[in-house]
Amino acid sequence: MSTSHEPTRPGALGTRIERLASGVLVLWVDGEIDTLTAPTLGTALGSLLDTPGDGPVAVDLSEVGFLASSGLAVLIRAAHRAESQGRALHLVGGGRAVVRPLQVTGSDRLFTLHEDLSTVTVAPRPGESSPRAD
Amino acid sequence: MSEVDPVGTADAVDGPGAVVEVRTSASAALIPTIRAVASDLAARADFDLDAISDLRMAVDEACATLVDVASPGSGLRCAFRVHGGVIEVEAQVETSGPDSTVSTDTFGWRVLQTLADEVELSGTDGRTVGIRLNKRAADPAHR
Repeated sequence: MSTSHEPTRPGALGTRIERLASGVLVLWVDGEIDTLTAPTLGTALGSLLDTPGDGPVAVDLSEVGFLASSGLAVLIRAAHRAESQGRALHLVGGGRAVVRPLQVTGSDRLFTLHEDLSTVTVAPRPGESSPRAD
Repeated sequence: MSEVDPVGTADAVDGPGAVVEVRTSASAALIPTIRAVASDLAARADFDLDAISDLRMAVDEACATLVDVASPGSGLRCAFRVHGGVIEVEAQVETSGPDSTVSTDTFGWRVLQTLADEVELSGTDGRTVGIRLNKRAADPAHR
């Protein structure tokens, strides 16, 4: 299963959703997230969280070179939505251009940050096998 | 042969009153160019990596905020002054009237306040609106 949006010009944002063999659902993002491209990220995060399942969802930001407040706002909304579904939103990779904005705004507390995808695992959670209704 | 002060050295951007000004159409599509200039100036002025990242994001935020209230077809002016380990930035757009104001009660403005050492609105005369900010090369607490 894979849906993707390739960057067509410099400044555009590429996104791709894929379910790993481990069961983890991943959104790969490639490009710069600013006021122009944040809506593309929002749409991709919407698709990610619309995908049925109660396993972990991850956003791989290794190939992201810039993250503006407009992008942070979109990520924060997605984290809240994931929480209301009873699942955690994991952020993977991301250099200084991603980690610094998360830290200075304190929004790193809303996410589980990972160096790479290998530490995002499907942990069985007894009694929480289905998404909570809200 | 006369001595020529080479352009582009650290002295050239760190000297007194070194000014770089960028003018673009007031379009979000051109902000990546302006934030690239901000990064470049900060790197040449020996800003530490966190401070470069913060300035780049602050300039992006200021310009994006202003482009939002700019009158259609107008321009964005962004001036950088580098001196003594500080970069001062003044970004300005023309507005369509006194109703086009920048709201400081937003997530973006709070982020801007966190990223810059000082930030304020400027030129709110009803025809233009601007944002002035400055950023030091490194947080003195971490030196």
